[in-house]
Amino acid sequence: METTHSHHLEIHSDSYLVKTKPEIKIVSFFFIILSIAFLSLENTLTISMQSLIVFGFLKASKLKFSTYLKRLSIDIPFILFALFLPFMSKGDGKVLTSFMNLPIYQTGVNEMITILIKITLCVTLAIILTATTSNIEIIYGLQKLKVSPLLISIFSFAIRYIDVFIDEVKRVRVSMRSRGYDEKGIKSLKPLAFASGALLIRGYERGERVYNSMLSRGFRGTLELKEREFISSNIILFIAIFSITISALDQFIL
Amino acid sequence: MNKQYLRMNNLSFEYPDGYKALSDINLELSKGERLGVLGPNGAGKTTLILHLNGILGELKGDINLNDISYTEENISKIRKSVGLVFQDPDDQLFMPTVLEDVMFGPKNFGFNDMQVQENSIKALEQVKMIEYIDKPPHHLSFGQKRKVAIASVLASEPELLVLDEPSSNLDPASRRELIDILKNLEVSIILVTHDLPMALEICSRSIILNNGKITADSETYKILKDEKTMSDNRLELPFGFALHHLEE
Repeated sequence: METTHSHHLEIHSDSYLVKTKPEIKIVSFFFIILSIAFLSLENTLTISMQSLIVFGFLKASKLKFSTYLKRLSIDIPFILFALFLPFMSKGDGKVLTSFMNLPIYQTGVNEMITILIKITLCVTLAIILTATTSNIEIIYGLQKLKVSPLLISIFSFAIRYIDVFIDEVKRVRVSMRSRGYDEKGIKSLKPLAFASGALLIRGYERGERVYNSMLSRGFRGTLELKEREFISSNIILFIAIFSITISALDQFIL
Repeated sequence: MNKQYLRMNNLSFEYPDGYKALSDINLELSKGERLGVLGPNGAGKTTLILHLNGILGELKGDINLNDISYTEENISKIRKSVGLVFQDPDDQLFMPTVLEDVMFGPKNFGFNDMQVQENSIKALEQVKMIEYIDKPPHHLSFGQKRKVAIASVLASEPELLVLDEPSSNLDPASRRELIDILKNLEVSIILVTHDLPMALEICSRSIILNNGKITADSETYKILKDEKTMSDNRLELPFGFALHHLEE
């Protein structure tokens, strides 16, 4: 049986962020993302400061810039959506200019810039988190943050069995192709639907078998991960608080 | 040997769709004995061993392990005493790392932290997988997964180890390593297998299960030698495998 090794996002480096407790990273990044989401973009100083924080983390993560750009491609659907806004979001109706006889609205342009900046900053933080924290460490961090044991179990099973499921999908595809299956055209959809159904049933049956094997080893409802060693970091927490403060000041004072 | 360690009396089981998987199974096993369970596909072998762990619930007849009957209140004791190694190790290994998976059983069975750690390390050493302690199980080869699955059961110190087709999908070297590991374990073993040479090597006694019934119960060697019993139960020795060198 083949195994999949290809989908891991974490980068092995000696970065300070890699060694930091995952729960600290999760909480800090969550609050920084929230403060970016609530930021208004009228004050360039606050935007610059938030950008400085995010790109400071990117530098600290020691993630290769080319890898970062590749992963940033997850941004593309949002960028495409944002590109339509100048033509669609009228706001007060003020027209900036026109393109191929279509008016470009001032409000739409502002909203486009807002979305592009916010999305890029938030996605960058997500990239940094996944590059410096393995899947297991993220689950471990969530456990430390007292997230519901049921959710923890669901996440860990999802991570554990995604490989097995991908391998099964690959095997089914290979066996279909080996019997002359062509993935083009509308006719190809019917066998695909049957194969998906079979995979679903197999997934269900595997779930039953996994549960039986857990019962046989005395499972009583909770999974417990072993303790892991990380360094504590007040700096990251401090930066998160600083980021929230910037947003709060931006909202209520500036 | 005391044949009373494990007793099954008139054990029958029907699946909810009406399929009768086991009928009137009577079986005894002594402590330390190694029993092979042979038989064709769909004979009820896996159903039988799931019952040994109290997993399938309601059954007719009774099972008794070391004078403990299979009742709801005894189920945790039973599951601790009977270690079940499943056919597909991917069904059994679900924790993020090898060590956590091996620790899963003893933790659930109430061992203290130090015992959990010690038993898990010892079990991984027994199956020669100690250097993979921090690896995610899904990154191991099939043979390595099988060994970790066995360790994950051994860590709970079972008295009876039940293995479902342990040599399936293994390359010859992994199969040999597995046989050597099993031969060195000091526990009772029930080995469900189609690998007849393996059954011969590990188990002095075997039963044949066919259509949910025990059709033979004898020394493994005698069963394999009996051509009629073998063909009646859709069993066959591998091509080129000869028994004559084992003759008394």
